Amino acid sequence: MKVSRREFLKSSVIAGAASALSHELLVPLEAQAQAKAETWQKAPCRFCGVGCGVLVGVSKGRVVAVRGDAESPVNRGLLCIKGYSLPKILYGSDRYTAPLLRKGDRFVQIRWDEALDLAASKFKGAIAKHGPESVAAYFSGQSTIFEGYAINKLMKGGIGSNNLDGNPRLCMASAVAGFYSTFGMDEPMGCYDDLDLTDTFFVWGSNFAEMHPVLYSRMIERKHQDPRATIVSLQTFTNRSSDEPADISVIFKPHTDLAIANAMAHVIVKEGLVNQEFVAKHTVLKKGLENIGFGLKDSDEFGGQSPSWATYKPFADRAQTIGFDDYKAFLEPYTPEYAEQLSGVPAAEIRKIARLFGDPKRKAVSMWTMGFNQHARGTWINNLVYNLHLLTGKISEPGNNPLSLTGQPSACGTTRETGALSHLLPGGLFVANPEHRKRAAEIWKVPFERISPKPGYHTMEMFRGLDRGDIKVIWINTTNPFQTLPHAGRYRKGARKGGERFVIVSEVYPSETARMADLILPSAMWVEKEGMFGNTERRTQHWAKMVDPPGQARDDLWQIVELAKRLGLGELFNYGKGPLQKGLFEEYRQFGLHKGKDLAPYDVYAKVRGGLRWPVVDNQETRWRYREGFDPYVKKGEAVKFYGNADGRAVIWARPYEPPAEAPDQDYPFWLTTGRVLEHWHTGTITRRVPELHRAVPSAPVWLNPDDAKALGIETGHRVRVASRRGEVIAKAEVGGRNTPPRGMVFVPFFDESVLINLVTLDAYDPISKQPDFKKCAVRLVKV
Amino acid sequence: MTRDCWKQVGALGVAVILVLFSGAAIAEEPAAKSKRLPRAYEGAPPLVPHDVEARKGLCQECHTTGEQGAPITPHPTRTHFCVQCHVGQDLTVKAFPTGRAR
Repeated sequence: MKVSRREFLKSSVIAGAASALSHELLVPLEAQAQAKAETWQKAPCRFCGVGCGVLVGVSKGRVVAVRGDAESPVNRGLLCIKGYSLPKILYGSDRYTAPLLRKGDRFVQIRWDEALDLAASKFKGAIAKHGPESVAAYFSGQSTIFEGYAINKLMKGGIGSNNLDGNPRLCMASAVAGFYSTFGMDEPMGCYDDLDLTDTFFVWGSNFAEMHPVLYSRMIERKHQDPRATIVSLQTFTNRSSDEPADISVIFKPHTDLAIANAMAHVIVKEGLVNQEFVAKHTVLKKGLENIGFGLKDSDEFGGQSPSWATYKPFADRAQTIGFDDYKAFLEPYTPEYAEQLSGVPAAEIRKIARLFGDPKRKAVSMWTMGFNQHARGTWINNLVYNLHLLTGKISEPGNNPLSLTGQPSACGTTRETGALSHLLPGGLFVANPEHRKRAAEIWKVPFERISPKPGYHTMEMFRGLDRGDIKVIWINTTNPFQTLPHAGRYRKGARKGGERFVIVSEVYPSETARMADLILPSAMWVEKEGMFGNTERRTQHWAKMVDPPGQARDDLWQIVELAKRLGLGELFNYGKGPLQKGLFEEYRQFGLHKGKDLAPYDVYAKVRGGLRWPVVDNQETRWRYREGFDPYVKKGEAVKFYGNADGRAVIWARPYEPPAEAPDQDYPFWLTTGRVLEHWHTGTITRRVPELHRAVPSAPVWLNPDDAKALGIETGHRVRVASRRGEVIAKAEVGGRNTPPRGMVFVPFFDESVLINLVTLDAYDPISKQPDFKKCAVRLVKV
Repeated sequence: MTRDCWKQVGALGVAVILVLFSGAAIAEEPAAKSKRLPRAYEGAPPLVPHDVEARKGLCQECHTTGEQGAPITPHPTRTHFCVQCHVGQDLTVKAFPTGRAR
C-alpha cells in the first residue's frame, strides 16, 4: 500500500495531534537509565543464530548497557532492537529466585538441596523400576556448549539413556538431515563473507529482515554498494523480506517450494546452464523413498504403525544411485508451467529466477530458515536447493554458497556439535554406529556397554511418550515446549495426567511450561554465567561470567553436575583442580580434532574477540570448506572434496513434489502459517518483560489479507477466532502493516501465551528429520 | 507472588503513573509538543513516538530532511532497515506480566 508524500504528511499531522492528546492519559515510561558502565566485556548476543558480538557494560554488579561490538566481524558494531534490549531481559520483576515445588495448584519455596535430592530420587526411582528409557531430558539451542556437552555425557554416558533431545528439533533438524544426506557432514560450507562477495541473493521462505536483522541489513548494504546486486525473494506471504529493495519478489502457495526448486533445476538442465565438469567430478545422483507419510500417529513413521515405542523403527531412506539421464527424466514433468499450476508463481518468473541462478557470469547465495526446515518434506527441500548449487557448481567458494540460517544462538554450537539430540554423540558421531560409541566411551572413560545403540525419543515422540506414560520423569531446560509444540493441547494435557509423571523445569521466568511443572529450578542466564555459543557460520564464541544471578538462581551447568552427583555419577565431571568449563571443553575438543571439526583450545576462545570458525587448524579458522586453498582438509590438486562422504562427492537428489499433510477445504478454508516477529524472542518469556519490546508488539495478532478481511467483515482490532480440527485461539485482527498474506492465508506469531496458536497447529513432521511443520495447516476464521 | 500481591503492584503502578503525569503536565507544559521518548540507556536506539506500521517504507520522507521537526538520521546510508532498531511504542499497553498467577 503506497501513500503519496502529500497524503502522508497530512496524515502524520493528524496522527501527531492525536498522540499529543493521548499522551496525557498514559504511560509507565521509565526514565533513561542513568548508571554509567564501569566495565565493558565481550559476549555474543543470546538471541538468534546470527551471533552478533556485543560489549556488555556493567555497573555495581548490574548489566546497564550494551553496544554492538565494532570489532566483531559478524555485525561490525550494529545490533537489532532485541540485541539492544539485552540488559533488561535480566531484570524482569518476576524472576525465579528460589526452587519451587508444586503443592496442588500452588508452588512453595524449597531449598536447593531438597530440590536436587527430590529430582535425583525421581530419576533413580523411574530408572530402577522402568529402566533408563523411562527418563528424558529436553534441552535447548540456547543452552551453552558446556551445558549441552555435560547433559549429553550425563544422559548417554552416565544414565545410559539416549532420551536427550533439544528444541532445535523444532528448528534445525531438517537442515541437519539435509546436510548429512547431501554432504555427509553437518553445517554450512560457506560463511557470512559470502554476503559481501556475491551479486545474487535467493531468499526462500524466510523473513530474515525480522528474524536475522543484522544479516538482512548486511545484504541490503551490499545492494546499496553495487547496483548490479540482485535480490530474489520467494515467500508465502508479503513481508519485510519481500519489500523493497528486493528486485524480484514472488509469493508461492505453501509447500510448493518443492515444485519451484525442481522447475528451476528443469530450466537449468534444459537451457544448458549445468556446470558439466563440476557435476561429473564432484557429485553423484540418487533417488530415495517416496510417499513417506507425516508421522501423525504415535511410533509410526513409515510402513505401518508400531504397537509401541519398543518396536518403533525410525525411518530409513533407501538410496539408489541413478544416472544423469534418469535425473533428466525425473525433472521432465517439472516444467515451469507445472510449477505455476501448483505454486501460483508465473512460469515466466520461475524461468527468470532459474536463469539468474544459472547465469555463469553471476554468483549465487541462497538463504533460508524455518520455511524450509519446518516443512513435512524439510529434508527434501534442503536437498533440492543444494541441487541448484551443485548443478551449477556455485558452491564452496567465495560468494557462491547455500547458507542455512539458524534460528537460535547455539543450535549449531551446542545441540548439533555437542550431539545433544537423541540419535547423536559429540563431534558428528551416531549412537547407532558401534565404532562411534566405542570412541565416545573411550573419551568419556565409561564402559562401552553403557551407551545404548538405540536412538532415543525425538522431540515429538518424547512428548507423546510423556502423554502415553512411557516417560515418567522429564527435565526441561531453557525452553518452553508447552507453548511451542505443535498440537500443544495434547502434550499439555499429557504432562499433567499425574501417575508417576514428574516434570522438572529449569527456567528464569514464569512460562507456560513452568506452570506445568512439578518442580521449578531457578536458572542463571546469559552473562550471569560463563558460556560458549556456536553460530550459523561455524563460529564459536566465549563469554565470561559478569554479574551474579538474582537470589538463589544457579546456572544450568551447576544443576547438571549436582544432579549427576546425586545419581552417583559425579565422577563424569571430575576434571581435577582447574575450572570445570575448561575441563569439559578440552575433553569435548577431542571428538572433533583431525575429523574436520577441529576447535581451538579453551584459552584461545576466552581471549579472541568475535570468536573463530571451525575447523580451526594451526590457529587458522576456515571460511570456506571443501575447497582447496581455503579448507586445510582438501589437499593440493583435489580442487573440491566433499569429504563428509566416503567418495568425496556431494549428492544431487531426485526428490519429488508431494502434497502437504493438511490443506484448506470447505470446513477449514484458510491456510494458517506461524512464526516470529522481530521484537520478540520465541515464546516471549524474556522479551515481553522488556517494556520497549512489549510496547512495540504487545500481543500476537492474526494478519489477514485485506480482501479476506473485507469479505468476513473484519477490520484491524476486531477479535477473530482462529480454529482448526485441534483447537482454537482468539486474536486481534491486523490488516496491513508489516505482513500481508495472500488471499486464503493467515499468519499468527507464536510468542504470545494468551494467543497459544500451537493449540491450533498440526503435529505432522518430516519422517527423515522428525521436525514438525508449523507452517501449514487448515483453519477457519470467525469474527467474535 | 500471589494474585493479591499482583493487585497491589498494579494499584501502586497506577498511583505512580498518576503522580508522574500530573507532575509532568505542570512542569513541562511548553515542551509537551516534543514527542521524544526516553531511551532505555545511553547508546540505546531512539524509540519511535508515532505509528511505524502505517508508515511502512516512508521513514526517509521526514528523517533525512527534518520535516515537521523529525530528528534527522545520523546514518543516512542505512536505508530500508530502519525498523530493525527503531520500533514504535504503544503507550497504552500494560506492563507484562499483567498479574496472571504462575
